[in-house]
Amino acid sequence: MRITRRQTLALAGAAPLAAPALVQAQARTISLWHVFNLETEAYMREGVRDWNAQNPNQRIEERIIPFAQYRTELVRAIATGDVPDLCVIDNPDTPSFAAQNQLTDLTQRVATSERIRASVYHTGPWSTAQWRGRTFAVPRDSNTIALYINHEMFRAAGLDPARPPGTWPDLFAAARRLTSADGRVSGLMFSARAAEDATFQWLPFLWQAGGDIDRLDGPEALDALRFWVECVTSGVSSRDVLTVSQSEGVNRLISGNAAMAISGPWDTPRVSQQARFEWSVAQLPVRGEGREIHASGLGGWNWAIPQGTRNADAAWRLIEHMSRPEHMAQSWRSGRLPPRTDVPVENPVYAQAFRAYSEQILTARPRGPHPRWPDISRPIQTAIQSALTGQAPPDVALRTAATAIRPILQQTPLRG
Amino acid sequence: MGSSASPAVPSPARTRTRFTDSDALLPTLVAGALIFIIVFIGYPVAYNLAMSFQEVTLGNIRDFARPFVGLENYQALVADPLFWPVLRNTSIFVITNVVLQVLLGLGLAMFFLQDFPGAAWMRGMILAGWILPPLVIAAVFKWLFASNGGLINEALMGAGLTAQPVNFLSDTATAMATVTFTNVWFGTPFAMILLSAGLANLPRDVFEAAQIDGAGTLTRFTRITVPLLMPTLLAVTCLCTIYTLRAFDVIWGMTGGGPANTTNVLPVWSFQLSFQQFNFAQGAVIATMMFALVILVALLYIRSIRSELRA
Repeated sequence: MRITRRQTLALAGAAPLAAPALVQAQARTISLWHVFNLETEAYMREGVRDWNAQNPNQRIEERIIPFAQYRTELVRAIATGDVPDLCVIDNPDTPSFAAQNQLTDLTQRVATSERIRASVYHTGPWSTAQWRGRTFAVPRDSNTIALYINHEMFRAAGLDPARPPGTWPDLFAAARRLTSADGRVSGLMFSARAAEDATFQWLPFLWQAGGDIDRLDGPEALDALRFWVECVTSGVSSRDVLTVSQSEGVNRLISGNAAMAISGPWDTPRVSQQARFEWSVAQLPVRGEGREIHASGLGGWNWAIPQGTRNADAAWRLIEHMSRPEHMAQSWRSGRLPPRTDVPVENPVYAQAFRAYSEQILTARPRGPHPRWPDISRPIQTAIQSALTGQAPPDVALRTAATAIRPILQQTPLRG
Repeated sequence: MGSSASPAVPSPARTRTRFTDSDALLPTLVAGALIFIIVFIGYPVAYNLAMSFQEVTLGNIRDFARPFVGLENYQALVADPLFWPVLRNTSIFVITNVVLQVLLGLGLAMFFLQDFPGAAWMRGMILAGWILPPLVIAAVFKWLFASNGGLINEALMGAGLTAQPVNFLSDTATAMATVTFTNVWFGTPFAMILLSAGLANLPRDVFEAAQIDGAGTLTRFTRITVPLLMPTLLAVTCLCTIYTLRAFDVIWGMTGGGPANTTNVLPVWSFQLSFQQFNFAQGAVIATMMFALVILVALLYIRSIRSELRA
């Protein structure tokens, strides 16, 4: 009704006024797509509320899409040309979209921005937003993985939860003592399912062993994969690592069916609410026996402005708004770490987990960045799955993966 | 199915309205349906077919004019080491599902045809499985079949049937059977309800006559029920085949196609190629192959409902 009346008014002779009115009508909202649906998601909720209060003429139109469907929806939007003004992109995916010209180049805007400068971001997250020396995204949050441990089970097994396992042999020995004879309790859960989770969780072991994805046929990679195989074949890790997601691995910890689980801070609010036992987060171990490399994986989301939006200026202002320290500091409440160095989190909830993840993330390495990351990750998942199921010996599985990945890296090297 | 699905034809005796009388009605209705089919079914199918002959990337997915590569995508897909295993998995999954769903559905339909207290109520409850979203079913069954803490393993161990948990979903030997079981649980109520309708429509006098002639239960079933029900059975088989061919959510939610691709089927692989690898063209090749398969089954289905209407 209102629109009709306004249009009628415009037609009724207010010709000089009509044009600006139409422009305003076009830019009356900013569409924003993201995946953050948790109750604890204070960062997004308060940031959006604040923006809407300050910009009543340009409110945010949020569309929250479950993580599992998010990428599909984004691809569909690109295919139809009906893209949001602003979206979040999982950091390993960012170069794929950037290299295919689907993201607005933000280099110039960053150069003149007061709030967003490379120097205030941690180098890992910032590197995931770059492609060929240009900036295509801005880090929103970071995460990494570490070890959740059940203190009561530790004590019952004669282990000291204050001294969590520090090396692979320690981890294995502890897991063995924590595993129940009837198979109801696994010592250690992780995720090796047929998805990105497997790559994300295995790469830290590869790096701890001294390897990298361009040397998957090397002895370090074999060492790392053999460790996982040993965990599963010895029974200290349930064979279900092949099907559980990272968060489902944590469910086993919460339900008392696992004594340790590897996952990220996104599960911290849930563990804190649901676990009926004392728990804490420990650092991932090092390889040990002469190799003391601390390493974990870097996850997180970036802000990006898709190509083809007419609202790029407003979207950029929204990125700047959401990157204010007072908003970003809230991200920890849903288990996400600020990617900026100038965002202190005062009196963090889940304080122990916060300290543990803040320390662990200093060792976190990004995946890639590479525009064909999915094509690199998939053979790694296949190698892990075929070794853990016994379909192929670890060395054969890894050689197959190395052969599949080599031409991709020859075409575009890592960190290219 | 059957007569209940046939459109209500106004009896000639009734006075017709002016519109239904006009000669324009039939062409208008047909044109409407045709336009609908062309826009919402024909276009995506043609678009998908075109994509399967093109080089499609994230960069050019918005354009129509993409490099034509002939049969390259088809060749690459067939050469993929996953091609034959996935085809094999799909055949096993579909055939097992259809056979079990139709047989169990028929058994249940016959069972609930008996007049016992609560029969209608129980039949309604069984349908509940079919009402749930498949992703929810997948999540619930994944929990039930979990190796540690899973209800089924707890029951088996409690009954002393196994000392160690069975790795239903994470063992390459049992994963396919487990997802098949789940999908059968999900799909059977649908087969049951269609077959119940078919059974209810069978002429009673034939059965009564047979009973008077001294035909036993088994004879009546094999000589009367099955032959008379054949068109419905065929139609249900076709529908189950189509539904199972495109079944995605249950497997996706339970195993994601793993472990080591032992439960990877065509729709799952197509999704992985298109939306995880951004290899849209090969995803489209699979979709095209599946479309061809479904068309074949659909033709069978149309034939079977024709004979059902005649019957």
